[in-house]
Amino acid sequence: MKILLTATLLLFAGVASAKPWWMRGAVTNEDDFLPPDVAFRVAASADDNTIRVRWVIADGYYLYRHRMDVRAESPDLTTFAPAMPPGEVKVDPYFGSQEIHRQQVEATVRYTRLDAGAHPLQIKVTYQGCADAGLCYPPITKVIYPQRALPAPPAASHPFEGVAILAGVVAFLLAGLLLRKGRKLDLPAA
Amino acid sequence: MNGRIAVAALLAMGMAAGAWVHFHRGVPRSPPGPGMRVAAGEASAPSSGDFFPEIPKIPDRLPQFSLADRSGKTTSIASFAGKSLIINFWATWCAPCRSEIPLLQTLQAEWVGRGASVVGIAVDHRDEVLEFADRFKIGYPLLIGEQDALDAAAAFGVASPVFPFTVFTDRRGEVVALFIGELHKPQAELILSQVQKLNEGQIELPAARLAITQGLSALERST
Repeated sequence: MKILLTATLLLFAGVASAKPWWMRGAVTNEDDFLPPDVAFRVAASADDNTIRVRWVIADGYYLYRHRMDVRAESPDLTTFAPAMPPGEVKVDPYFGSQEIHRQQVEATVRYTRLDAGAHPLQIKVTYQGCADAGLCYPPITKVIYPQRALPAPPAASHPFEGVAILAGVVAFLLAGLLLRKGRKLDLPAA
Repeated sequence: MNGRIAVAALLAMGMAAGAWVHFHRGVPRSPPGPGMRVAAGEASAPSSGDFFPEIPKIPDRLPQFSLADRSGKTTSIASFAGKSLIINFWATWCAPCRSEIPLLQTLQAEWVGRGASVVGIAVDHRDEVLEFADRFKIGYPLLIGEQDALDAAAAFGVASPVFPFTVFTDRRGEVVALFIGELHKPQAELILSQVQKLNEGQIELPAARLAITQGLSALERST
């Protein structure tokens, strides 16, 4: 039985050390640096004359307003300057006052097309941001296809995730039952 | 009773495995984060399968690359051979990079007599870097590039770069530490003191890296 328990503990240790190298020793750090596409997510939707580009920005990260831009990419598309709400003012000792956006922001871009439907609607978005923790990402440029409606968040999942979670819940309940079964209830004598 | 505990432990392990799969699903595949100070040599083979296909590897030794210096002359990083290096990757548009320049100036002044040198690597448009370097009176050597400087960053295992980041080598060209995010004086001094011990033969590289890792964690806890 001791061997089984030891094996169990060793397996646990195996799981614990399977962390990627960059998380070792820094697991408690709450300011985990996110890859740019996770820190700043962008999606666009369009109706007959307006494209809406929405950035969703992770907590602790921000985008510089003056570095956000939306331009036409399809050959038959003409876009006007994007309209964006004013940002929060950030004072930097070197850059001076700059407007930044946190959490989320939407730019509206009016557009016209010369031959509607001949080309897919394509725009090029540019943005650049930093993390409060003291690092910045290079400018990002993406060509995106605005959708008719804002796309639902992607339902990415690992193929075994559902099974694993269910197994975990069942295991938890069973473990609790098993442990409880052997427990004696000691009530203080009245 | 022991049997029950063992079975319960096994079941709990199943739960842990479930949680592991769940929480690793969305874990970013990326270099370390701000304040995630990583001593070099901690890189391990990608053991987590498809979850982390892009795990960067910090090289053990200073990789070879050449970039233009301020005068436009192509300069190899090997031309600094024999010195301990503080290689700082930065860009003019990056506020935390600008913030740490006074510290780098100080480090250059304090350590130049001890066989160390700061080398700034600006990943940016040349004209802007030159104008900026003049304005801030940057006194340490600068190398400047765009794609070629990004390639140099990638050679240090930082393929999807964030700025600033700083690589510390000893005088034999061994990469001792790679620090991502804005550098502050206590962290810089901690790393440099270990580099100095390495240079003087007082300790070996693994001990230096361990001391840096532990020291940085302690600094992090104290802030």
